[in-house]
Amino acid sequence: MWKQPYFLVGFAILSFFLGGSFLYEWLWGNVPRQIFFVTENGRTVEGPPISPKWNFPLGTDQYGYDLLGKLMIGGKYTILAALAIAALRMLIAVPLGYMMATYLQRQRAWIGGLADSLHYIPLTLFAAYILYPVLWMPLGGFTNTIWERIAIQVVLMALLTMPIVAVLIGNEAALLYRQEYVTAARVLGAGEPRIIRKHLYPQMREKLAVLYGQQVIETFIVLAHLSLLNLFLGGTKISYDPMFSDPPMSISFEWSGLFGSTFRYLQGSPWLPLFPVLFIALSILAVTLMLEGYLRSKDIQAPKKSSALAQDEAIVDWNREQLRSRMVLLKNAETPKNPHNL
Amino acid sequence: MKLMIKFVFSVLGIVLVSGFPVLIGGLVAGELRLTEYIGALEAVLRGLWPLQEFTVLNMRTNREIPLFPTIGEYIIYSLELLFLAFAVAIFFAITFTVLTMLLKEKARQRIKMALYFLESLPDLLVIMLAQLAVIAIYLQTNVLISKIAVVQGDHIYWLPVLCLALLPMIQLYRLCMLTFRDEERKMYIELARSLGFSKVFVIWVHMFRNAIISVFFQSKKTIWFMLSNLFVLELMFNIPGIMLFMKDNISPEVFLVSIFSFFLPIFLLYSIGEWLVLRHLRGKEAI
Repeated sequence: MWKQPYFLVGFAILSFFLGGSFLYEWLWGNVPRQIFFVTENGRTVEGPPISPKWNFPLGTDQYGYDLLGKLMIGGKYTILAALAIAALRMLIAVPLGYMMATYLQRQRAWIGGLADSLHYIPLTLFAAYILYPVLWMPLGGFTNTIWERIAIQVVLMALLTMPIVAVLIGNEAALLYRQEYVTAARVLGAGEPRIIRKHLYPQMREKLAVLYGQQVIETFIVLAHLSLLNLFLGGTKISYDPMFSDPPMSISFEWSGLFGSTFRYLQGSPWLPLFPVLFIALSILAVTLMLEGYLRSKDIQAPKKSSALAQDEAIVDWNREQLRSRMVLLKNAETPKNPHNL
Repeated sequence: MKLMIKFVFSVLGIVLVSGFPVLIGGLVAGELRLTEYIGALEAVLRGLWPLQEFTVLNMRTNREIPLFPTIGEYIIYSLELLFLAFAVAIFFAITFTVLTMLLKEKARQRIKMALYFLESLPDLLVIMLAQLAVIAIYLQTNVLISKIAVVQGDHIYWLPVLCLALLPMIQLYRLCMLTFRDEERKMYIELARSLGFSKVFVIWVHMFRNAIISVFFQSKKTIWFMLSNLFVLELMFNIPGIMLFMKDNISPEVFLVSIFSFFLPIFLLYSIGEWLVLRHLRGKEAI
């Protein structure tokens, strides 16, 4: 796996974002640098939002904060949240799926129907509908801390499509139950836990890994979509001031929040929403690359016809050669027989 | 019969989901509000019962408006966009699949990899780049190729449809390529080729018929993906569709009605498709 270039590139991108994020906070604190105007020969040329320049490679936002700094600080929230959500979802869905295939064989039809209904609800909308009471700041301000909210959001988003994933795993496991070696194991006296641990799980390990990667990608996209509705990771700060109310703001600098709160600037200063989305796209690409590299190292794809044939021939050749060398050995063994026997 | 069970449970699932915010609210407060949850479900169903009289409080005008004649317009526009985009996606996916099937193995691999990475583009980026491109073209040449936002009573079609169709098209293309390749290994293709039929003919006539059924059954996931994209699309293009309507007047009742408005057509489409395929296959070897 670590020799696959695809996997390495993907891993490098993700760890760059994550490591860079922690490093940035450690070096410069968690407030990005701020600039109020750019001067050229003593004259003010540009006020915030400042377009990308050498000093500020990604420009600044409408309050003069450096966008690159914001993105670097926010990276860890978004990436870790996506990884955590997908991991939690798999952790719940895998045992459930196995249980469904093992003990609920009969009931699988209607459980499937129930989970299928989720297919008709747009994921983003569903997430927004459920997360709204958690993330939207009530009139008096939040009563819980940001980490509590993040934890609740992670759990809820993990549960969101968990039934679909569980049914998927259940169906896959049910297919494996029909395999002969499972029957053989059962005849030899293996219990259900042992069959699951020793036969079903190793068979499905690669598929589960791919499923995990897909869940991470999906989570990135849902997080970005949610931000369009001003629902940000860890809560949305709303100013209820009737006169000078600020627009809804993200509490952390996480990427989807950076995108959602600046989406209206697309035409005036396109770098503001564009770069956060680009960073999200890069992370998704990184996960895709890692998946592809992983698959290549395991070679899950059906081997090509030509290479399989070539391999068969090689084995035959080797056998023949071995046969010949064996015969030579026999011959050699036969000839010096007499001196030994003397 | 099996379809009926599926239908009933799907409806049940959607109804159960519509009451979730009550449960979640309780969860945040640290208590399990099961009785309130059931009560909320009952209230939603009862509130909806005389469908014609149900009204929603419109946030923008601050007035009660009847749900039923109003919502029809939104639903139709959304469904038009959805199915147009789906049709476009299927058409191009199949065309490209047939074209790439004619190529050599090495070129195929390369195209596959390129598309694989294109697929990881988020839909937001696609929409934003499309809008920026329209603006850039307008600034350069003074030609407005399409409006990028809907203003009052105006319907735009081709740019949203294109944005909505692009990613599903890539997904479907990958799906098609996989099924076509599986099909290619089967014996009857070899037989047809050895009888002297051209590659194009074999692909179009023999493989196509068999592969399309499997693609149809797997395309359900693509529709789900498109629903989520449709939501973002309506937000970003300011399209007066069902999703925007739902966002503006969110309440359990509106949620339920809106979900059913696209659940029914999609369910119908797939049920009819399944029925047709099964009838066609009856008496023959099952897939």
